[in-house]
Amino acid sequence: MALVSAPGSYIYVCTRLRVRRSSLLPREELLRMLNMELSEIIRFIGETGYKKEIGELSTLCAGTDLDLIEMALSWNMAKEFHKILEIVPEGLHGFASAYLRRWDFQNVINILRGKAQGMKAGKIKEVLIPAGDLDREFLDRLLTEDSVEKVVAALSGVRFSHIIEGIFAAGITDASLMTLENELIKNYYEDLAIVAGSGVKGGEIFLDWLRMEIDFKNIQNLFRLREYKEKGDILSLMIPKGGIPVADLVRLNGIEARGEFIDALKKKAGFEPLQAALEDLRKERPIHEIEIALTRVLLHQMSFMSKMHPFSIYPILSYLEEKKYEVANLRTIARGKKVNIPTEEIKRYLVI
Amino acid sequence: MAIRDIKPTRSELIQLKRKIKLSERGYNILKMKRDGLILEFFNVLEKAKTTREDLQEKYRKAARMSDLANTVEGSISLKAAAFSVKETPSIVLKSKNIMGVVVPQIEASKVRKGLFDRGYGLLATSSVMDETATAYEELVDSIVRAAEIETTMKRLLDEIESTKRRVNALEFKVIPELTAARDFIKMRLDEMEREELFRLKKIKATHKD
Repeated sequence: MALVSAPGSYIYVCTRLRVRRSSLLPREELLRMLNMELSEIIRFIGETGYKKEIGELSTLCAGTDLDLIEMALSWNMAKEFHKILEIVPEGLHGFASAYLRRWDFQNVINILRGKAQGMKAGKIKEVLIPAGDLDREFLDRLLTEDSVEKVVAALSGVRFSHIIEGIFAAGITDASLMTLENELIKNYYEDLAIVAGSGVKGGEIFLDWLRMEIDFKNIQNLFRLREYKEKGDILSLMIPKGGIPVADLVRLNGIEARGEFIDALKKKAGFEPLQAALEDLRKERPIHEIEIALTRVLLHQMSFMSKMHPFSIYPILSYLEEKKYEVANLRTIARGKKVNIPTEEIKRYLVI
Repeated sequence: MAIRDIKPTRSELIQLKRKIKLSERGYNILKMKRDGLILEFFNVLEKAKTTREDLQEKYRKAARMSDLANTVEGSISLKAAAFSVKETPSIVLKSKNIMGVVVPQIEASKVRKGLFDRGYGLLATSSVMDETATAYEELVDSIVRAAEIETTMKRLLDEIESTKRRVNALEFKVIPELTAARDFIKMRLDEMEREELFRLKKIKATHKD
């Protein structure tokens, strides 16, 4: 891997990322795609940044149009993330690769879920994005295993194998799979906090992003808990190491009146766009709209911070997150079209 | 009962009168039961209509949410979440009595679950999964309610049918036959009395001569 580490490399990467961001599909194009058929969507994305994958998979993929799109999106995203990792300056490489490790646990979760449900390896492979430490060959090897137990055994030695072994010590059940998912995600953020605090230059800004990301996740979860008036073990759902302490979040969950809850949360929220978004959430709205509204604020804030700190990890993370949501939006449109969900309904679930 | 088989005796007449009285009382009671059951049936029918509409609406909503979850989260996540339920709902079957008709009373438990009891990992899923799970829980509730009401309706219908048959049998067969037999005996007894009187008069006239 060729790491760019010269002093001018930050400017170079910044410019490259600006170019890449400009090539992401704009909101108008996504809205146009809502009125297309699946075959038209394939043709359309085949003329954008996904051209190479669509071209390669058109001859290789024996499945349906949707399978082709899913596979092309996964391949493109993995390729794009690897390319970013290649051009990232040496000082930021550790942060970017730590961030990309989210795809490791995401892929492992998808493989375990798929194997537990007896799904075909090809179907699971469509949603795997080998952008982290676990490469395509390793994931393919996991896919050839014919049971959850064998996948777990094959995972021995990977970064988070101690968590898997700990949770599955008493046996593998659907419930333990779900506990594993939560624990892997928490471990991922803990891992990021360790990387941020390792003393590498730029670590404070990475930590700044990490706190913001965790806060958004926790706030989204708080709204989710409130929606179902859940007072159970909410600590298990809160991710530590965020800007807002977990104890405060637990206290916030105890506030019954929505107005009071928003006021208290606004006091804890660090920056103005989040406060404005929370103000907007004062009136009752469906929970998925709240989640999407908060995700939009996070993306907007990351974009803003990448302009404030152009030579930091922010421009890279901002691009990676936007790419992630572009792929998620394309998947949502394609899957929605496949099952004939009305356009307006699909639109409500897009992060645009 | 054929008229020729009837013995035109006073004791038979008394027995027949008792039977007629009993049949008429039974007829009135069964008619009241039939009318009561029909009233109850219409109440249940109204409930069944709304329950059926509610069930169809809930089914449409659940199917739509399932499509949405499949769209947003993907089929692997949806299937994994669907099979992660720790406790399956259970039903307790009791019975209640409506005018002598035993109808079921179904009580379901553990249908509605809290977020933490649903079994899927909350951090790795979005709220669309919660909305889908809620939609299916509401559907199961609706199915249980519909099963109770529709079974009640079916049992009431069966009972109305058999009560109607009994009422008709009493009204058009049993009571008319008993009345005819009573009238026949009455007529025969009157005739026998007249014959007896005539015979006595004849004997008296013979003695005078």
